[in-house]
Amino acid sequence: MADEAHLRALLLQGLAGDDAAHRAFLTEAAGLLRAYFRNRLRGQAEDAEDLVQETLVALHTRRDTYDPNYPLTAWMYAIARYRLIDFLRRAKHRATAPLDGVEVGDIDPQFDASDAKRDVAVLLDKLPEKQRTAIRLVKLEDRSIKEAASQTGLSESDIKISIHRGLKTLMRLMGQEQTT
Amino acid sequence: MKTDHLIDALARNVEPAEKPRWRMNLAITLLVGLVVAVALVAIGLGVRPDLGTARMPIMMKAMFSALAAAVVLPLALQLMKPGRPLGWRIGAVVAFVALCAVCVVVALMGEEPGERMAMWMGNGVPWCVVLIPVLAVPTAVLLVWLMRAFAPTRLTLTGAAIGALSGGVGAMAYAMYCPVDSAAFVMTWYVLGIALSAAIGALVGAKFLRW
Repeated sequence: MADEAHLRALLLQGLAGDDAAHRAFLTEAAGLLRAYFRNRLRGQAEDAEDLVQETLVALHTRRDTYDPNYPLTAWMYAIARYRLIDFLRRAKHRATAPLDGVEVGDIDPQFDASDAKRDVAVLLDKLPEKQRTAIRLVKLEDRSIKEAASQTGLSESDIKISIHRGLKTLMRLMGQEQTT
Repeated sequence: MKTDHLIDALARNVEPAEKPRWRMNLAITLLVGLVVAVALVAIGLGVRPDLGTARMPIMMKAMFSALAAAVVLPLALQLMKPGRPLGWRIGAVVAFVALCAVCVVVALMGEEPGERMAMWMGNGVPWCVVLIPVLAVPTAVLLVWLMRAFAPTRLTLTGAAIGALSGGVGAMAYAMYCPVDSAAFVMTWYVLGIALSAAIGALVGAKFLRW
């Protein structure tokens, strides 16, 4: 498939630190993931979008586990499938609040009008302060690692580690969110 | 936050990804697991009193256990990262177990009928089936820790592989205590001990390997 080679090139460039290529990879991956999850969660578009976001964070934080000797799509869909199974397992756990209670287009005052059910921005507030600050400065306010370091008084490697840990924590929170 | 905004955030100021250095970490993990298990044998069970004269059979049993672990290793490595084919690696494990079964039968056929039972059961209860999984625990804990840094997506299978791998390491340490040297005994009960470790790993794997 042409997709495979193209996506793979983008991911590998992203792995080397190319922002634009990584953005293009995540954008195309989001499209494929959306189709994947919507196919499997018919009538639950918001849940599907939640899973798209969760999987994107997983693809990003675990991108170093991609081995160029193996097909990229196999790697990507293995992670997507894992997140889906985890989601279904969680859904089964809260059997008292069945999934089909939430219809597409339902107006639920608890949720902002966004395509995903949960709000990642709200989840960010639950992170430990150091991780939250690092992510906010570098990922949301577009400061460089260096600027973020001098602004917070932390070392550059501290900032990098905080971002990495923060994103992993975020992915876990995205999972737990639905349990409650 | 819309998905597009999330993508923007993830792709902003991207750092070059580090290659995870798993070879060294795995080697250290297995070595530390073995050392702890040997210490447990020395403190808890006591090393065989005839350690000097029984060096050869002890070595053979330890080598056999190491071989069992080595057979599982390729499978465990594939399971560490998402979306890798398992293929022949499962076949290798099955073939190894089948080969052991054949060896047990052949070895027992060569014995006098009256002695077969003793050679097979080792004069009593084969405690190794229980003790090997116990001695596997330190290695298993370390391996789970190592695996969590990667992204295993088939948790039950990964748990089983971790269990079998640490079972092999546990059996290596157990060989220093084990008083029975017959090949039929070792190939039956060591393999069962390792299989039990794998079964426990499969049961609890999903609980500890989630990410």
